[in-house]
Amino acid sequence: MNVWHTIRGVLSKRGLELAILLFAISTLLFFLLRLSGDPAAVLAGEEADPDLVALIRQRYGLDDPLIVQYVSYVLSILTLDFGESLRGGQEALILVLQRLASTLLLAFLALIVTAAIAVPLGAWLGVRPDAKTRKWVNGIVFIFQGIPGYIVGLLLIQLFVVELRWLTSIGNQGVTSWILPSLTLASFLAPKMVRVVAANVSEAMREDYIRTARANGASTAQVLWRHALPNALLGATALIGTQFAFLMSGSLITEWIFAWPGFGLLLVQSVERLDFPVVQAAVFVIAGLVFVVNAGTDVVFRLIDPRLRRQQA
Amino acid sequence: MTAQTESPAPVRSLLPRLRIWPRAGSGNGMTIVGMVIVLCFAIATIGVLIWPPAEAYTGNLMERWKAPLEDGSVLGTDQLGRSLLWRVAAGMPWSLGIAFTAAVIAMTLGTAAGLLAAWSPGPIRRIVQHLVDTVIAFPSLVLAVTVIALLGRGFWPLAATLGLATWPIAARVVYAEAMSISKRDYVMAARLAGVGSTTILITHVLPALRPTLLVMFAFTFADMLIAESALSFLGIGVPLTAPSWGNMLSESREYLVEAPQQMLVPATAIVLAVVAFNLIGDGVAAKARSRSRAVE
Repeated sequence: MNVWHTIRGVLSKRGLELAILLFAISTLLFFLLRLSGDPAAVLAGEEADPDLVALIRQRYGLDDPLIVQYVSYVLSILTLDFGESLRGGQEALILVLQRLASTLLLAFLALIVTAAIAVPLGAWLGVRPDAKTRKWVNGIVFIFQGIPGYIVGLLLIQLFVVELRWLTSIGNQGVTSWILPSLTLASFLAPKMVRVVAANVSEAMREDYIRTARANGASTAQVLWRHALPNALLGATALIGTQFAFLMSGSLITEWIFAWPGFGLLLVQSVERLDFPVVQAAVFVIAGLVFVVNAGTDVVFRLIDPRLRRQQA
Repeated sequence: MTAQTESPAPVRSLLPRLRIWPRAGSGNGMTIVGMVIVLCFAIATIGVLIWPPAEAYTGNLMERWKAPLEDGSVLGTDQLGRSLLWRVAAGMPWSLGIAFTAAVIAMTLGTAAGLLAAWSPGPIRRIVQHLVDTVIAFPSLVLAVTVIALLGRGFWPLAATLGLATWPIAARVVYAEAMSISKRDYVMAARLAGVGSTTILITHVLPALRPTLLVMFAFTFADMLIAESALSFLGIGVPLTAPSWGNMLSESREYLVEAPQQMLVPATAIVLAVVAFNLIGDGVAAKARSRSRAVE
């Protein structure tokens, strides 16, 4: 019963936010499209022939009064009908959903790389943060935090594709082609994660129960493995939840650099081609995905951590 | 010793949630390094605005892809023989200008919303909090890409979109800090003495917020610079002919084999500026932290 209570609380709060967000975005898109001149001309693209413009005009009911257009637009969105792609005529939503697996694969790989880098490094930095070499490493992590992911991606291509010719940098062509994109996407999150793990470990090492364990004769390594690290990992996992939106922004750029066939690439290409049905479907799917991940981590953490459960969802 | 174990709540709220206290750098020295870099960039930006360098736009094909320091070119030349030094300089009003404008918009809106939430009764506060939570939970780059697709490229669409996508982060920080300030003894004393809440806001809360705002501005500026370059890099930012740093990076992708300097020069400029602003932000935050520890 408690579990359901928690889930319902989280879903109602997050669900309300998602509803507001999707409503705001769709309204914004609707009016921006009409503000930017003749929507039919925009939708048809440059150098469109008049027949196509007339067809779009009819298809979207653009001769109706604005309020009628808006209501029918909202209704079609509610039924997840985003229309067909203006280039190719496929159902926009299907087109986007076909890319889901690729994007999730990349995000998953990036999270593994991030954890593999951040947990050992963060733990090492956090156990004795004031040691001299670790201050230097901290400084390097700090600088890395200032290097945008797209520059990391370009540097990786320069090194491994252009200079060493070890790897390829285009599309998804099997396991070796996964390396550079997942490293690039991981670079968005890893420096933050290192600092979170380090901060959590060093905070935990000052806690009373650690002192008790030490007093009972536990070694630094034992204390770290048994007590400090599990605590820090909880915080690091929470970071993934809150940073998932940021990870999606990063995957937009990463997919574009490496021509990775996820929906970030589809979104950028559709924006360039002014293919608005697809743009809209992509934005809605990304919003939904972020919602699922956020709500999921929220629920899991409320179930794990009694302190959170007592707070109002 | 007590200051160590007590976690100082107002200080924690100085930073957006995920900035972890730096233990790198030695405080003031690194802050000054950051400030010197920013000052150089600022002077160069103003210089380029007053005397636009023609070398950035016209090149000689005979002199293309010169390596740095080859034949008197300082940072090398691009695929049209244009000087990379001058192009990076000519890109400053675009890249740094948009980042600055977007940061000002985000900070102004965010401060206003944060103070509004902190100073108004329950319903308004909850509406602002919901709004903030909602916008923060969405990938801002996805939002920006979509809006700019409709608004078109250019300085103002980009600056406005980035600012509008970012203000909730500032709002959240300002709200938390304002709440903690409003519970301090001297604010309570002023309230008991009958001072109006608007006067308290102006004479007591805003001055106390200053370090927070400064730190936020530095970090927001760095984030906006990264975001602006990202959008230009995706080809959805400033006009394609403008030599913004993101555009230069985007162009360089095709010539990584022939001329890596075309990528390295704007990349270095971006990283240098971002690290400089992060250094200033961390430095100011560390100073504020030590001061509030002294108060405690």
